[in-house]
Amino acid sequence: MKLVKEANAVCLYQMDPQEAAMLQGLVKNFPFTAMQEGEISRTEATPEALERDKLLNESLVEYRESLTTLAAQLVAPERFKPQAKGVVMTISAEEREQLLQILNDIRVGCWNALGQPASLEPPASGATDQEHKYFALLNLAGYFEHSLLVGES
Amino acid sequence: MRRAAPAVWQAVRNRSLTANTMPSIAEPATQPVIKQRPRSDDDLAPTFYVVCWNDPVNLMVYVTHVFMKIFGWNKQKAEKHMLEVHEKGKSVLTREGAEKAEFYVHELQKYKLHATMEPAE
Repeated sequence: MKLVKEANAVCLYQMDPQEAAMLQGLVKNFPFTAMQEGEISRTEATPEALERDKLLNESLVEYRESLTTLAAQLVAPERFKPQAKGVVMTISAEEREQLLQILNDIRVGCWNALGQPASLEPPASGATDQEHKYFALLNLAGYFEHSLLVGES
Repeated sequence: MRRAAPAVWQAVRNRSLTANTMPSIAEPATQPVIKQRPRSDDDLAPTFYVVCWNDPVNLMVYVTHVFMKIFGWNKQKAEKHMLEVHEKGKSVLTREGAEKAEFYVHELQKYKLHATMEPAE
C-alpha cells in the first residue's frame, strides 16, 4: 500500500486487493480490545487532578464510540476502486486521521492485552492462540499506519 | 553597564545649571511614573508541562505525525521531540495554563500517545 496522490486534502492510496481486504477486515471489526483508562497526571493527586482524570476518561470513551461508528464508513467498498495496478482507496485528510487513530487504538490495545511487553518480539512457543492473534493484529495495524504516513506531505 | 553618578558630581552639575544665564530646559521636578501592568488571573494561575512519555508500541513516524498535527510544528521540531521521547524516556512538549494543557493531553491521548500534564514550578 502506498500514497499515489495527495491534493486538496484528498489522498489516494494504491494497494493489492489482498491488502484492501485485510484493511477492511481489520477496521470493520474495530474494537478488538477493551478500552484502557488514561491518566491525566503522573505526579498530581489533587481533587482537581482526579476530576480531570474523570473528564479525560469520559471524553476518551465518547471519542472511541464515535470512531467505532465511523469505522465501517472509512473502509466502505465504494472507497476502493479497481485499477490496472490493484485497488485505489480514496480518503480525505480528516478521514485519514480517524483511520490512523483506529489503527493505533488496535495496535496499542493489543499491546496492552499482551501485558505491555517492553519488546515487540513474537510470543514465546507456549503462548495462547489469543496472544498470537493480538500480536498479529498489532503488527498488521502498524503496517497500515506506516503505509498511511510514508510519503505524506 | 553604567555606574550611578557620585553625589559630588550631582552637586557640581546643579551649581553650574543655576549659574548659567542662558535659558535652559529645567529638569522635571518629578520623575515619570512607570505604570506596572496589573497582574491578571493568568499571571497567578498555575501552569503545567505537557509531557509525552516513551513506550515501545507507538511508531516513530506516527508520533512525529501526531506532534505535527496537534501542535502545528514542522517536521524537524516534531522529530526532535519524538527522538527526545524515544531516547530520554519523555519530552516536555509545551507549558500552558490548566485548560490548554488539559486540551493537549486529551488530543494526544485520542491518538493513544501516553501524555500527561504535570505541575510546573
